[in-house]
Amino acid sequence: MLRHQAARRPVMGSAGRKKTLWLLTMVAPGAIWLILIRYLPMFGIVMAFLDYRLPTRKMPFPINLLHSDWVGLDNFQFLFTSDALTMIRNTLGYNIVWIALGLVLAVALAIMMSELTKKFLAKTYQTLMFFPYFLSWVVAAYFLFAFLDPTNGMIVRAQKAAGVTPIDWYNEPKYWPVILTICSMWKNTGYSTVLYLSAITGIDRSQYEAAAVDGATKWQQMLHVTLPHLKPIIIVLLIMNVGKIFNADFGLFWSVPMNSAPLFPVTQVVDTYVYRSYKFTGDVGMSTAAGFLQNLVGFICIMGANAIVRRLDADSSLF
Amino acid sequence: MKKLLALVLAAMLALSIVPAMAEDAVEITILLEGNNVTDDAPVLEKLNPYLAEKIGVTIKPVWGTWANFDDLALNAVTSGSDEYDIMFTCSWTKNEYAKYAKAGAYVRLDDPEDDLLAEYGAALKDTLPELLFEGAMTEGPDGEKGVYAVPGFKDFATMNCWDVNVTLLEKYGYTLEDVQKAGFYGWDEIFAKVKAGEEADGSVFYPFVFEGAVVERFVDNTPIVTGDSGLLLSYIMNADDVSQPGPYGNVFVNKYATDEFKAFAAQMKKYYDAGYIDPAIAIGETATDTWRNAQNTANYLISSEVSLYGYEYTTSAARGIQVAYIMTHSDPYIDNTSVQGAMMAISANSDAPEACMKFLNLLNTDPYVMTLLNYGVEGVHYNLNDQGEAEFTDARANSYTVWTNGVGNVTLLPPTKGQGADFQQRFAEFYGGAKKLPIYGFTFDASKVNKEIAAVANIKEAYALTLCTGAAADVDATLAEMLQKMDEAGMQKIVDEANAQLEAFLSGK
Amino acid sequence: MTALSHRKGHALRLNQVSAGTELIFHIILGLFAACCILPFIFVVIISFSAESSIKTIGYSFVPAQWSLEAYRQVFKLGDQLWLSYFNSFFITIVGTVVSVAICVLYAYPLFRKDFKLRGFFTFFSFFTMIFGGGLIPTYIVCKNLLGMSNNYAALIVPMLVNPFNIIIMRTFFQTSVPFDLIEAATIDGSGEYSTLTRVILPIVKPGIATVALLTALAYWNEWFLCLLYITDRHLYPLQYLLMEMQRNAEFISRNSSVMGAASAEAVRNLPNQTMRMAVVVFIVLPIACAYPFFQRYVVAGLTIGSVKG
Repeated sequence: MLRHQAARRPVMGSAGRKKTLWLLTMVAPGAIWLILIRYLPMFGIVMAFLDYRLPTRKMPFPINLLHSDWVGLDNFQFLFTSDALTMIRNTLGYNIVWIALGLVLAVALAIMMSELTKKFLAKTYQTLMFFPYFLSWVVAAYFLFAFLDPTNGMIVRAQKAAGVTPIDWYNEPKYWPVILTICSMWKNTGYSTVLYLSAITGIDRSQYEAAAVDGATKWQQMLHVTLPHLKPIIIVLLIMNVGKIFNADFGLFWSVPMNSAPLFPVTQVVDTYVYRSYKFTGDVGMSTAAGFLQNLVGFICIMGANAIVRRLDADSSLF
Repeated sequence: MKKLLALVLAAMLALSIVPAMAEDAVEITILLEGNNVTDDAPVLEKLNPYLAEKIGVTIKPVWGTWANFDDLALNAVTSGSDEYDIMFTCSWTKNEYAKYAKAGAYVRLDDPEDDLLAEYGAALKDTLPELLFEGAMTEGPDGEKGVYAVPGFKDFATMNCWDVNVTLLEKYGYTLEDVQKAGFYGWDEIFAKVKAGEEADGSVFYPFVFEGAVVERFVDNTPIVTGDSGLLLSYIMNADDVSQPGPYGNVFVNKYATDEFKAFAAQMKKYYDAGYIDPAIAIGETATDTWRNAQNTANYLISSEVSLYGYEYTTSAARGIQVAYIMTHSDPYIDNTSVQGAMMAISANSDAPEACMKFLNLLNTDPYVMTLLNYGVEGVHYNLNDQGEAEFTDARANSYTVWTNGVGNVTLLPPTKGQGADFQQRFAEFYGGAKKLPIYGFTFDASKVNKEIAAVANIKEAYALTLCTGAAADVDATLAEMLQKMDEAGMQKIVDEANAQLEAFLSGK
Repeated sequence: MTALSHRKGHALRLNQVSAGTELIFHIILGLFAACCILPFIFVVIISFSAESSIKTIGYSFVPAQWSLEAYRQVFKLGDQLWLSYFNSFFITIVGTVVSVAICVLYAYPLFRKDFKLRGFFTFFSFFTMIFGGGLIPTYIVCKNLLGMSNNYAALIVPMLVNPFNIIIMRTFFQTSVPFDLIEAATIDGSGEYSTLTRVILPIVKPGIATVALLTALAYWNEWFLCLLYITDRHLYPLQYLLMEMQRNAEFISRNSSVMGAASAEAVRNLPNQTMRMAVVVFIVLPIACAYPFFQRYVVAGLTIGSVKG
């Protein structure tokens, strides 16, 4: 009904405004949701600067916020102790390496998959790659433990059988950067591969034929047809990953190393540190402060990355 | 036409009044924790008419589980919700009695202005030991001390015990007395002999299993300091008479800076290096499972356990061996953590605090109510045998498993199978003979040093389990490193604050 | 179709990687896929292991003893199991359909260069990806203001819009829809909605399938909303049933020092580890079966050329 009215509308001077109005109706449901569920609670960010007072009948939420004492940056203090450097180094270090590695791996796998002639196998690989997404880190940790268990682990037993001194895996930090990297790739690659693969699917096949006619090899086709087409999505995913550069996957850093204390030098990240602090203090202000700081860093990084991209190639930037 | 309308209106009015009159009982919602209840209809069918007739109240339980133990109360309190009238509360986990009482989330039960306890809880007050109320005293939003929850009458005294596999011990010619005499620092020989014997077939056997995070308490005699959730403070008690001040007096010290701790860690290291301790006990997430698994499969010689009265019968039967407990101090001691272990508070947002108090009064004094809510319906969820002991049915296991300690006065319940008809009487007598710690009644209010605790507790987490299980490569170096970092993060400020609070408490007593 | 089989039959290696290269691809992809499925096979094995085997030799690919006990226990859950299955399906289907619709509608104007408020609304959604009010304020708004408590809305609404998906969707529009197409449609007198549904949507099918897949997976895996807003067991999704078992065990294990002997009793009342693994199998299988449905669109264009236009 609406559609017909729109279709019959004569082109007039106000057509631009009409168009904007129609497009606004499309944005509306999402925008209303964002206002209610995301923007409305945002006043809670002030909790990062308060000694949060619990609401009561006389002082219901959010009136209680007005009665909470302003403590300035006190809630951030616990993040800057002697161990802070380790935790910041770990969070940023793992994130930077994993963003790069994850990108290369996922794009490579997606391109390989797109070149397979046996479609059935390609589908099978792709289905299997999604399985890690369903297994929680806790389950993955059990799996790893079956190999590394200090008494019954398969690797440990094999080492004992071979007469080698078994490695005390959960007591030796040096192996864990590699183990965590493998785990992270294992879990997340399938997810991003599907994004790249569907982007490749959207490429018009005739472009490849044309390139082939011009004598381009498969490798050249990948460089000059596939990658340029993947560029927008690669950039968008990169920028969004940069926004999470100060956040870490809690389950990966907590469950997979089995919360083993000697491994903290390589497994302590901002999220695990904040969780441990919260566990012992139950202080909402401090965890809100930590979350706010993480977001702030992410926001600055994203704006920076976006500005750089916009300067190089305006069409690919996020906004 | 008008007449008809009037008639219809009158009829509607009458209809709406009839159910309202039948339902003059007040419905209260109760948040209970730690349960596995999927069908409470048979229980409520019997319980609610009884309650309505007796006190004009009906209840609607919300069955919290272990999985959402912290979350339901935490969410309700931090958002100021009025969905629960009565809430379970305790002094451990995130569901913090002292903190929430101070924030004004609970109704003061002994308020001089409006003494609910005196008015509607006389029977309850007579039934529960006076010292329970003493332990439930905590600071309210006005800074005055008062009772903000009804404490549960349960195993309110603590017994830190070595749990000994007597069957295995005797196989190698030792007696319980040998273990007791040798003590923690002298078990080398026993461990060596048993380990060698059990491993003769090529398997791996670890004689010593324990809960690494707290085993230090059993050796150094350091009870939990209520409010010290980071396990940073030690109050060293007098093991020969728990009611007397300890060797350092009534003070708190940094748990890890004492000579006692150093000696303990060194001994653990010896045991660990000799292969008496499972390395999995030193790994955070596998520690507890490893300890419990070894116990339950009777695959250990000596273990640690916070025991309760009559527990050796339960465990011996469950594990198929003879289990004995050696208490590491003179008498069971009464401390805040165990007294505040399970309580019922009335929400400050409740519309019917009087009705709540009436119900709590009945729950803690009327065996019918307590048994029905806890065990379920006789003939459905349990049966009574000739000795008057309860035998649970599959129906209870499948759909109505209630956490007994989380409800109320457990001494009202029929004994369970094997406990004997007079169990509850012996139980009450046993705990009646327990002694109060000199610092009983004190709760550490950590809120003033939260920032320091956040940093220090993180440091503790990075070292403590490794030290307490003997897995550290170099005990002295690790301990020194940890203590230095703790000092930098403000450990002394925490200790000083705790001592200042304790001093104020003791002088006001 | 005939043209296709013709191409396949006669020009098998036309513009394809060499057979040797393809073999290497197969080896790499095969190895990676094997790594991905191995832990799940491990889960299946554990679910068929006897509990006693785990207690004595730990988790192992070769249990000391096999058992069907875990599955017997899962079926003992009876109505709760099937109810939770229904809830999971219901939440996933309704949530995915509504969420994808909102996502496409929101993303489409963001791709339209002639939409004046494009920059504003892009930033409007993107900003919420970075900043949020935190758990407690969100909880209060959802529960006290919007009434999300013990109803399906509480399990669906808080996840309806995902800024990440909006940006992905916008990128799909950008890369696969030529802007002339919209201008042409407008000149033909097509309204905005009809241009979107008749002209644009068929082209971005792979993108929609991808976003739908990601959304469906997120709904299927979700349990935290249930922890926050649901106490009525009739509304539990399957994933929460599993998480409840997991969290029950973790809680008791973490607090055994305070609970003392009571924790040992509580542990005895818990479902054992093999049962938890069996529930994992119950959770993973349906979504793994549903996966090829999405795949039809995602992989459709592979090797046989695009079906664009």
